[in-house]
Amino acid sequence: MTTYLVRRLIQMLGVVLLSAIASYLLLNFAPGGPLSGIRQLQQQNNRMRLTAEDFARIRAYFELDLDLPVRFTRWLVGQPRGPLVIAGQSFLGDMVVGCRQPIEENFETGPGEFETRVVGCAQAVQLKDLEGRRVSNGVLFGDFGLSWTILRDRPVADLLLTRLPKTLQLMGLSTVLALIIAIPLGVYSAVHQYSRFDYTITTLAFLGSAMPTFFFGISFILLFSILPKSAGLPYLPPGSSEAVRAYTLPWFGTIQPDTWLDVLLHLILPVTVVTIVSVAGFSRFVRASMLEVLRQDYVRTARAKGLLERVVIARHALRNALIPFITVFVFALPGIFGGAIITESIFSWPGMGRLFLLALQSSDYPVAMAMLFITALLTVVATLLSDLMYTMVDPRIRLS
Amino acid sequence: MAATAQVASLAADVISTPEESLWRVVLRRFSRHRLAMISCAAIVVIFVLSLFARQIAPFKPDQLAVGHYFLPPGAVEEKTGLTHYVGTDNIGRDYFSRLVYAGRISLTVAVVTTAISILIGVTVGAFAGYYGGWLDSVLMRAVEFLATIPILPLLLIISAMLLRNEEAIPIPKFMLEVMGTVMLLSPNDARQALLIILVLAALGWINDARLMRGTILSLREQTFVEAARSLGASDAQIILKHMLPNAMAPIIVNASLNLSGFIVTEAALSFLGFGIQDPIPTWGNMLAATQQFMFDRPWLPLVPGLPIVLCSLAFNYIGDGLRDALDPRLKL
Repeated sequence: MTTYLVRRLIQMLGVVLLSAIASYLLLNFAPGGPLSGIRQLQQQNNRMRLTAEDFARIRAYFELDLDLPVRFTRWLVGQPRGPLVIAGQSFLGDMVVGCRQPIEENFETGPGEFETRVVGCAQAVQLKDLEGRRVSNGVLFGDFGLSWTILRDRPVADLLLTRLPKTLQLMGLSTVLALIIAIPLGVYSAVHQYSRFDYTITTLAFLGSAMPTFFFGISFILLFSILPKSAGLPYLPPGSSEAVRAYTLPWFGTIQPDTWLDVLLHLILPVTVVTIVSVAGFSRFVRASMLEVLRQDYVRTARAKGLLERVVIARHALRNALIPFITVFVFALPGIFGGAIITESIFSWPGMGRLFLLALQSSDYPVAMAMLFITALLTVVATLLSDLMYTMVDPRIRLS
Repeated sequence: MAATAQVASLAADVISTPEESLWRVVLRRFSRHRLAMISCAAIVVIFVLSLFARQIAPFKPDQLAVGHYFLPPGAVEEKTGLTHYVGTDNIGRDYFSRLVYAGRISLTVAVVTTAISILIGVTVGAFAGYYGGWLDSVLMRAVEFLATIPILPLLLIISAMLLRNEEAIPIPKFMLEVMGTVMLLSPNDARQALLIILVLAALGWINDARLMRGTILSLREQTFVEAARSLGASDAQIILKHMLPNAMAPIIVNASLNLSGFIVTEAALSFLGFGIQDPIPTWGNMLAATQQFMFDRPWLPLVPGLPIVLCSLAFNYIGDGLRDALDPRLKL
């Protein structure tokens, strides 16, 4: 068991490292990047004149003056921060790790088409220049660096932490609700296979998983907030997680912002949408797995022993049917962190999903990378968790 | 000797019984699935509408009627006497015309993406299943990876990357022109649609490959493959002639489900602002652009939402019907 765990942990570290590298490369090789906006602005209007020195400073701010491997290790583990110091003596201080001012020249690639290429370096960055430069402690140690655009120069972690509670609220609540609803539904329709109830549930689950989330969202806003409001009935707030100012609902009276009632009212619509979508998936899964188990010999044995049908289903069938469900559920965990991107953006819910969108829209790469990295980490942890849980609930499975 | 005689008589039986062709059987079984037939009809209607977009739409999709913002459904333009069937949007473009043109674009994106992912998926899956080796292990790792990572963020990142510098991605000009003609777009606008197709296909083929691999793996052990091999058939012959026809059922069913999935995903990407961008109409970005007006004019976001839902459901039902018709034991 211990060796298994150690091996798994080493594997996990490898996977996390790989995903960190992959996400970093994806975002850094992506053309565009933080400087493209400035370049475009400069080309478009000549009023904004940046000197070469300004440009170099901006490049240094984004660490774009460093070579990719150096930049990456600084991002990942916060090193190198300066010359190598061994026993009071510094080494490799002159090593070139980047270029402060590249020499660019325009080449004609075709008739009328030009391409700017870097042909040399006017001023190199050496390892000793890195001393005293601002650097994060490294993503591996939980420091995601500073945000570039959304909250400029504030730690990414702060940004994530302000959004996390809202997402946990939304996703946690809907996941719990989905479980409470989906398991009985799935069990009931499996036990009464081909009954009218089963057909209804199967059809609804089918609709729920085939319908796009944004359509659910929009029709719910229409049904529960616009129509009732115009009819003078109490309506649900269509967006955001709490009101900005006090508002009046028929029957409820005036509701102050940030009271529990206000929060509750704002939660209902997004939670319902996320819940419906999860219930659709979960209940289909529970039904299939329950049908599988009900056909087993031990269920027949339990029935033959004369046990009550209720006991057979709850004790003998359900407990076994839920084993494969563990995987499905555990893999939903990274989603709880990552939030529901579409639902959050329909209901303008200030959670992680919308933060991710915002980060991509405004090229705030540190934020986007942090979120990708955490999701990857959670996924890996979830995999381990589900494997361990399997051994706990199913003694037939041995880890080796 | 007795065995041979028995086989001969069995063969004679088979030959003498009038046999329905396989496709006729499939068709008969499929037509029994009522919802699938209704879905087929709905899809045909939507396809025909999009195919004749130019003839059906009264206006150009990007034609602005200055001053005629937010016209109600059924408003008639005085000058030309043309009707805005569903009114106009916030900058005075005819909503119905945009809807019809958008259908052409959204459907083309879905169909082409499905075709590409089947092509890649079947090839990779067949090779991986038949030969195993590194391709197989890479494929299986990719499948595992995708099974765990949430897909939408990944798609969003890829398409954000691609769309940010559209111009730098080399796409042959004739392809842009062909796609432009199909989608009634200028070659430059077609570039965007093509990029979205690439984004969707980049992850879309993997499921096809997984299915194909599984089927090929099980077919490899079948006696008819062994027979073919013992008769000296080459690998290519075995894969193409003997295995592929037997492996198509899950792929066909999956294609139908994929069509639904790609329509919804493309709409979701466009809805979130990382798909095809505004002057080009798609159902997703029309929905996104008009969501803010839904408080006064709820039909604006609902109208483009309906075809998305309709297509998604219809393709799902067709997939269901195809599964029943092709192979009822099939589980996807």
